[in-house]
Amino acid sequence: MTADSRLDAPPLSTADLDDRQPGGVWPPTPAMLAEPTDPHLAAAQAERLNAAWALPRGWRYITAVNNAEVGKWYALAAFGFMLAAGVLALLIRVQLAVPDNDFLSADRFNQFFTMHGSAMMFLFAVPMFEAISILLLPAFLGTRDMPFPRLSAYGFWCFLIGGFFVLGSLLFDAAPSSGWFMYPPLAIEAEGVGSDIWLLGLSFIEVASIAAAVELIVGVIKCRPPGMRINLMPLYAWYVLVVGGMILFAFPPLIAGDFLFELQRSMDWPFFDPERGGDPLLWQHLFWIFGHPEVYIIFLPSIAIAAMVVPTAAGRPIVGYSWIVLSAVGTGFLSFGLWVHHMFTTGLPSLSLGFFSAASQAVVIPTGVQIFAFIATLMVGRVRVILPTLWIAGAVAVFTAGGLTGVMVALAPFDWQVHDTYFIVAHLHYTLFGGMIFPVIGGIYYFYPFITKKKMSERLGRWSFWLTFAGFNICFLPMHLTGLLGMPRRVWTYPGDLGWDWLNLISTVGAFVLASGILIFAWDLIRPKRHQPLTERNPWNAGTLEWAHEVPGQAWSPRSIPYITSRYPLWDQDRIVQRMDAGRFYLPDAPEGHRETIVTSAVDAIPQVAARVTGPAWCTLVAAAFTGGAFILPTFKMYVPAVLCGIFAIASVIWWLWTATARIPEREMRDVGLSLRLPTYVSGSKAPGWWAVFVTMLGDATAFASLVFGVFFYWTARPDFPPPGMPHADPGLTAAAAALLAATWGATRIARSVHRAGRVRAARALLAAAPLMSLAGAAALVGAVWLPGLEPSSHVYPAMMWALVIWTTAHVLCGTIMLAYCLARSLAGRMLPRFDADLWNTTLFWHFLGVTCVVTAAMIGLVPRVM
Amino acid sequence: MHWPHRYSSLWHMIAAPIVWAIHFCTVYGWTAAVCARADAPGAARFGTGLATLVALAAIAWLGWHAWLQWDYRPHDPRLHDVPTTEARREFLGHAAWLLAGVSAIGVIFVALPAIFIESCL
Repeated sequence: MTADSRLDAPPLSTADLDDRQPGGVWPPTPAMLAEPTDPHLAAAQAERLNAAWALPRGWRYITAVNNAEVGKWYALAAFGFMLAAGVLALLIRVQLAVPDNDFLSADRFNQFFTMHGSAMMFLFAVPMFEAISILLLPAFLGTRDMPFPRLSAYGFWCFLIGGFFVLGSLLFDAAPSSGWFMYPPLAIEAEGVGSDIWLLGLSFIEVASIAAAVELIVGVIKCRPPGMRINLMPLYAWYVLVVGGMILFAFPPLIAGDFLFELQRSMDWPFFDPERGGDPLLWQHLFWIFGHPEVYIIFLPSIAIAAMVVPTAAGRPIVGYSWIVLSAVGTGFLSFGLWVHHMFTTGLPSLSLGFFSAASQAVVIPTGVQIFAFIATLMVGRVRVILPTLWIAGAVAVFTAGGLTGVMVALAPFDWQVHDTYFIVAHLHYTLFGGMIFPVIGGIYYFYPFITKKKMSERLGRWSFWLTFAGFNICFLPMHLTGLLGMPRRVWTYPGDLGWDWLNLISTVGAFVLASGILIFAWDLIRPKRHQPLTERNPWNAGTLEWAHEVPGQAWSPRSIPYITSRYPLWDQDRIVQRMDAGRFYLPDAPEGHRETIVTSAVDAIPQVAARVTGPAWCTLVAAAFTGGAFILPTFKMYVPAVLCGIFAIASVIWWLWTATARIPEREMRDVGLSLRLPTYVSGSKAPGWWAVFVTMLGDATAFASLVFGVFFYWTARPDFPPPGMPHADPGLTAAAAALLAATWGATRIARSVHRAGRVRAARALLAAAPLMSLAGAAALVGAVWLPGLEPSSHVYPAMMWALVIWTTAHVLCGTIMLAYCLARSLAGRMLPRFDADLWNTTLFWHFLGVTCVVTAAMIGLVPRVM
Repeated sequence: MHWPHRYSSLWHMIAAPIVWAIHFCTVYGWTAAVCARADAPGAARFGTGLATLVALAAIAWLGWHAWLQWDYRPHDPRLHDVPTTEARREFLGHAAWLLAGVSAIGVIFVALPAIFIESCL
């Protein structure tokens, strides 16, 4: 056996230099797996396990955090928002059915198309990916739950509150009306609270998206079942990993953009105002650095569903597993090099346009590879035309058509002709329907027996498909022509006799046919099925682990967590389902009544820890409600209540962490079954929490990098940046801030080492000094821009310097709270040298924060003087 | 053969696309700066060419190592779907090799406009 498949792999960090290492037998022998379990013992274990994972009853049901419940709520909420956005689309189509129509007023029409796009993107497409992943990923991986169930619940409640807030604004005639990409100066000049609702409401939802991304990445990396090496992982998990990574690099630029935009809306700092040195194009860059990868963030997880359905339909393993991994990873990267193709008409140098045009062509290669891999799998297999296959086939047809028009509009000269016309509307709906709606509905037909243990109707499903498919093409195919005939997007109405009349009428008819198909699906989804028999366990005869589910369902998910040796365990592994049911595999018991799951190594899935998982709680709901207040109240300029809400939100999160995370276990080691003993506590890079901090901070660093990009953008785009004669930040205070914050960083790092070495008193002294130094550093940073009189509303240069300082100061305050938290944990006896995960995570946070502070000091103190 | 730790690393697998990303940012940033500040298309195109050569060399080096890691032999089944360290290492090598190919194509595509477009307008 080679070194990296053993339990006692060589230590990679000092956190591993510990006597609490996994021990016993690994991997399990066939004889051990074949040994029968004692039925009496198994029954007692099942009872304890059930008690640990039981759902809260009655009205406490809403405190549930089990992934199956949160995933269902999440998916239904996203679907509900989708239906609402669909109704808006129908009203838009009614208005456009005939020329010179006055069914909707111009302003209401603007609100409707803005909210149609925003809701479909932010309230449906991305949340639907998170919902489906939370619902299904643990089952794909044969594990009990996501690593941070309460984080999923918190994300869901944030999403729900934010969604109702943003969509509800329509009822008060106060919705945003400047288009879903909110271009300045229109969106800045827009009167009323519409733009603020968009900026703050959707930033709030983006927080939920990033929370889900953290959860899903850590879930894929650390919560795979023992033995499921990275080359055996279901393809869905590969896509989740890629998409999670993309969210981390795509959403933060938009959050940074929202931050600047809201500063301009509320405080008149001129980031996008050319008269005071700003530039509206910066928003377009930040928006589309988010907006284009976003399209692939929607597309990849949906095509991942196809990657799960296609092998089942073909009755054989996928062809070209490595090629599909290449495709997912390659698309994930290349999709970040396309954003300027939304800006071909903004007058950038044609050389720059060429780069983005070329990258837009190149992304077709990996995207095409996966389609060919699916077709190859279907060709070499024996295809059964099950209902989900029909929807997947529709998806491939529609998406390919959208991809081809995509190649056309990736050519800058062609785009100049059709930019902002209905040709683009047709193209984007072909890609999004083919890339998202069709595969997702196919996936719901496929996974419905897993989710509800009942089946949907075959007959209604076929009706729904053909109406949707026909209606879609009747609606959107003519739009290519409408666009080529010159009809611009987002116009409220149009005069007759331009050749657009009959095309628009056909589109409207098609929209209603499409809607009837979706309605049939919606009815089939929610119609009562009480008298219908339960489904068989594996209705499609699939090979992946989710079909080992129990019918009727159990709160514990798998009875025991299996040992995996194949990509299609249900096809290849001997009696795996019976052994899972019998409790033959890992963690068949909950002796202390805790929720637990097995954490494994990132690449080879070697068991590392039996980690506790959090259970039902009110604190997630309370935290979500106050976080909502902190984002929503500033819309109405209620800043004091907003700050109070922010403080309460932080307090509820601290309470949540204090009571439920990094708890010192009753026993340091635990027998998890099959003669394997695992530690129950771990800190550093083996711990899911450490990974969560790492992943979150990668996203945070991206947002910060976007602000730094802003400084250089103004420098290249504007001749007067920084303007001559304008004061710079105070050099002495900037240097003092850098020194103090770097010292805090160092003190935190040293505290971790001396604490681990058992010198608790020294560690506490450092942890007491560090917050003081960090606060002094933050004060020096603010003083550096305040004292020389940098006036942020006078010009974009001081505004940008202030924005960097505000961003960094807010983070320093957060880092200060974390240091104080560690000190309090130590004083309360909740953090000991052998149980120091809090300190490891805080140190990791400060590694990122330290770099942020040093870069900020350089950006305000050094760089402008060089420019 | 002895395989160092990096051959079990996911970061190693995505090294070539990271080179693509760095190349893309360099070329875009350099062109934007030179065109906006100096209106010097010659410098923009020369810098693009230089960055492209460096990037292609790096991708070739990474691709060669990925090829070795893949350990391709024409008559073996190449599914990498068994639960062994070798299969996992060869799978990561194969994926890295394919990604090196796509990254090289991406770099060449992105560099092509600099051959054909001779102005900053």
